[in-house]
Amino acid sequence: MGAHYCAICKQTTFSGKKHVFGKSHQSRLRVVLLKFTEKVKEARRTLKKPQVEKFDCTQHKQKIWCYCCEVEIERNVTDDNMTVLYGGVIEHMATPEHKNKTHKFWWDNKADPKLKDKVLFTAEEAERFKAEVSEVLETFVEKEDEYIKQEAKFIRAQEKHRQEVMQTLLERKEEPELSNGPNSSRLSAEVPVSSQLQSRGWGQQMGNAFADSMSEVTQTAAGQGLTFIGYQDSSTSGNVHTGAVPPWLQDDPLEGTSGAAPQKEIGPSLQDFLKQKEQEKLKKLPPNRVGANFDHSSHTDANWLPSFGRVWNSGRRWQSRHQFRQEERQKRKQKKQHGTESSKKAKMTEQLSSSGV
Amino acid sequence: MSLFLPKLTCKKDIDEAIKGVAEKVVVLRFGSDDDSVCLQLDEILSKTAHDLSNMASIYIVDVDKAPIYTRYFDISYIPSTVFFFNGQHMKVDYGSPDHTKFVGSFKTKQDFIDLIEVIYRGAMRGKMIVQSPIDPKNIPKYDLLYHDI
Repeated sequence: MGAHYCAICKQTTFSGKKHVFGKSHQSRLRVVLLKFTEKVKEARRTLKKPQVEKFDCTQHKQKIWCYCCEVEIERNVTDDNMTVLYGGVIEHMATPEHKNKTHKFWWDNKADPKLKDKVLFTAEEAERFKAEVSEVLETFVEKEDEYIKQEAKFIRAQEKHRQEVMQTLLERKEEPELSNGPNSSRLSAEVPVSSQLQSRGWGQQMGNAFADSMSEVTQTAAGQGLTFIGYQDSSTSGNVHTGAVPPWLQDDPLEGTSGAAPQKEIGPSLQDFLKQKEQEKLKKLPPNRVGANFDHSSHTDANWLPSFGRVWNSGRRWQSRHQFRQEERQKRKQKKQHGTESSKKAKMTEQLSSSGV
Repeated sequence: MSLFLPKLTCKKDIDEAIKGVAEKVVVLRFGSDDDSVCLQLDEILSKTAHDLSNMASIYIVDVDKAPIYTRYFDISYIPSTVFFFNGQHMKVDYGSPDHTKFVGSFKTKQDFIDLIEVIYRGAMRGKMIVQSPIDPKNIPKYDLLYHDI
């Protein structure tokens, strides 16, 4: 026969059937049967008094391992609406296959025969259970129906209450509008006439303010010996009555423009960085190159000319620029003179002046 | 006339170009758009402008638009080409009577490229006048007679 796999000890033994008589096997078997019979005992408890509950997928999908048949069996019987607790266990254990397998298991593992009856249900027991379950089911369904009806009643009552509240609110809003319309116009027209009328108007306005507190501004005001400076329009920003953001918490747009910098950037700016990068690049160039210190951004007037070396210039380059300026000036002078004096004389002076330069 | 080279039309533009271009050779071509030699030169300048973009900025100036510069640089023949570096005028010894400007057109593009490179290197070494690398045969011949010198 060779190797023998023991399901209880979960190991392969080569000593043959001898293994089941061993101490370790028997102790393990005792533990296994203790657990198994415990579960079956619970099922047996429900046999007399079946329990039906509302289906709960977290609890009622449990499974039990039947050691005798070596299969997984459903603990409860359910139709996704309600659950019969331990229905699956009882059903399985009443089957003749389970009975046969149990006998075999007990024989194979040399278990205590007294315990055998604990894991077996007779056919009569199962029948009785089924009958009782059907009764319980009926009562359960009735109870459920009643509960649903109660819930529906409660929801309907709530809805009705809500409707009533809404209705009262709407009515209250319409009422002050009607009263305010003519009254306020009259008030604005004849403010100083009667203080009685005014006080009544005030009272009504206060009532108004409770109804819609969003647009709340002083509309009428009068006092003896006080100066009226005009009503303040704060419809867009709100005021102290409406709970708007106070001015000291708002940032002033005017101040931002007049101030030096509203959001001063921390650290060097991008421009500075680019300039610095450019400077670094320039550092690599030879320091004695032509125009190394020339200020490219220097502002110059309209008469600016680059320093230019003339063909036979012996001095500095800027000297040729000065020379050119002088010539220009003389040319202009010469033009003026040209109008008054004769052309010959002008030529003479030009020659003289240019030779002087 | 070249459509591909920037044109400077007034004294202020020329000032800006000379002053503003940093660490690069500024090439000012004085001439007129309808002159045939100017067209030849412009062809060479525009074809090489991209290759020389790291070393030189090339501009076209009409002699009639900026008379003050024309007088100042004493331009009597067109086209005349003047070179600047960092706002300083660069002289080149072409072997011709005038060191201040190149008169006429270059024979090949390579001549112009060589010249720019020599000017650039010379300027980087701090030289205000450089020796022209162009073969004297390829430099246009002309005579200048200077007044009262």
